[in-house]
Amino acid sequence: MLYSPAIARRATEGRLAPRGSNTVIEIEGLSKRYAHDVFALRDVTIHVERGEFAFLTGPSGAGKTTLLRILVGQETPTTGRVVVDGRDLAALKPADVQRYRRTVGFVFQDFKLILRKTVFENVMFSLRILGVPDVQQRRRTFQVLKWVGLQHRANAYPIELSGGEQQRVAIARALVNEPVLVLADEPTGNLDPDLALEIMDLFRKMNAGGTTVLVATHDRDLIHHVGRRTISLDHGCVAEPA
Amino acid sequence: MIGGLGYFVSEALLSLWRGRGATVLSVLTIAIAVFVLGLFLLVGGHAQSTVDRWSRSAEVSVYLRDEATPDQRAAIERALRVDRSVSGIDVVSKDQALKRFRKDFPELAPATTGAPDNPFPASFEVRVGRAPAGDAALEHLVSRVAALPGVADVRYDRRWLDRLVSLGEFVRWAGLGLAAVLFLAAALTVTNVVRLSLHARRDEIEIMELVGAPMAFIRGPFVCEGMIQGGLGAILAMIALRASLALAAPRLSAMSAGLFDIGRIEFLSAAAVTCLVFGGMAVGCLGGFAASHRVR
Repeated sequence: MLYSPAIARRATEGRLAPRGSNTVIEIEGLSKRYAHDVFALRDVTIHVERGEFAFLTGPSGAGKTTLLRILVGQETPTTGRVVVDGRDLAALKPADVQRYRRTVGFVFQDFKLILRKTVFENVMFSLRILGVPDVQQRRRTFQVLKWVGLQHRANAYPIELSGGEQQRVAIARALVNEPVLVLADEPTGNLDPDLALEIMDLFRKMNAGGTTVLVATHDRDLIHHVGRRTISLDHGCVAEPA
Repeated sequence: MIGGLGYFVSEALLSLWRGRGATVLSVLTIAIAVFVLGLFLLVGGHAQSTVDRWSRSAEVSVYLRDEATPDQRAAIERALRVDRSVSGIDVVSKDQALKRFRKDFPELAPATTGAPDNPFPASFEVRVGRAPAGDAALEHLVSRVAALPGVADVRYDRRWLDRLVSLGEFVRWAGLGLAAVLFLAAALTVTNVVRLSLHARRDEIEIMELVGAPMAFIRGPFVCEGMIQGGLGAILAMIALRASLALAAPRLSAMSAGLFDIGRIEFLSAAAVTCLVFGGMAVGCLGGFAASHRVR
């Protein structure tokens, strides 16, 4: 219902390598070292298959956020290889990083919504930067807002929404480009348990539509409730087999 | 790639409105710089045309004795005409000199009506070519003609005219230098104002980066912001300059005692105004670009 071939085609423009395998995230021997020989990640190898829903978990300081920052393109690996949907992230130039980000959806704990834009404008922004025609932008934005159940709040500003609603807007924005992969960093960290479950339901629904989802969370109850594969990190290393 | 011009402009206008205090400061700084440059262009242009007008008039005046004979006059004229630095000669009779005086100084005209004789001498008004001041050939001509019988006096205008030209050049370059300094100050002000707006919107910029907005899309509104500030400043300067000219011209005209025809000062040409407005926009654009370039 949500799929729009034209938007998906625009979003995947700039792909550096053809989609060769079923692995969407391919991390091999990844290490990230900061100053004074502090390792945030050490020899991490993770594979996430196309259409999979996986959790990335671990205590604070385990390296979850660093790994997501690398997957977002905000950090570069010290050693190792990170390939997302055929793109070797270490080889991306700044302009390619921006292109890559248009093909992946991101959801953050603090929502990261533009406060002076309405819900509708926040979601539509991702389509605007893709250069999607206006009519199509509006139609698609409305469609996605309806999907997250916020079509009636389209003209509201983020500050007028509850935390759960703001996170729904962030999910709508992550989805609007038809991404192959959605990455979420503690998406329920600021929400009460009931709202957290509602948000997880949205991720499940999204995944059921074919989108690969990787959610970083330390909430064990939530992971058990959803019941999907879990990748545990501890002190920068994979603690359980990926 | 992105039909983003409307987006850039609307975002820039919104940002300018939000930081209107700083915007006013920035626009005024640019306005001052453009005003100074425009003023020097205006004054310099008018001074140049005045000097050109004076240059076209007599530069060497050879006054004749009243008792000079026709042969002496012919010899003097011949001596002038054969000289290669002379580009033209106007013969001014005593009557013409008197008429000219009465026309140029009407308030003094009554003083000449009671005189028994016409006190003004006949003269040759000699236009010289583009020889530089102090040119030896011209000096030689002046001294040679001064020694001819029938010549009462020789006035050589070129020296002070050249000094005036030099002074005009100096003033013009000083004006350009001052305008350059002011433009630099304006560019820095715009940079800082845009930087403030950048700082106020740093969260938004981070979000734009995260959703993959191209750098041009992120920086565009800030560059546009600088450009609008520059354009507004330049337009304001042109309006202020036009108004100043309209207000000051009558007073200056009276003060200049007819030496300068202030009443005929024309405002800057449309091309010059366009250049100044675009110049202001370019300075603003540079400021906006310099500030927005700090975005990764």
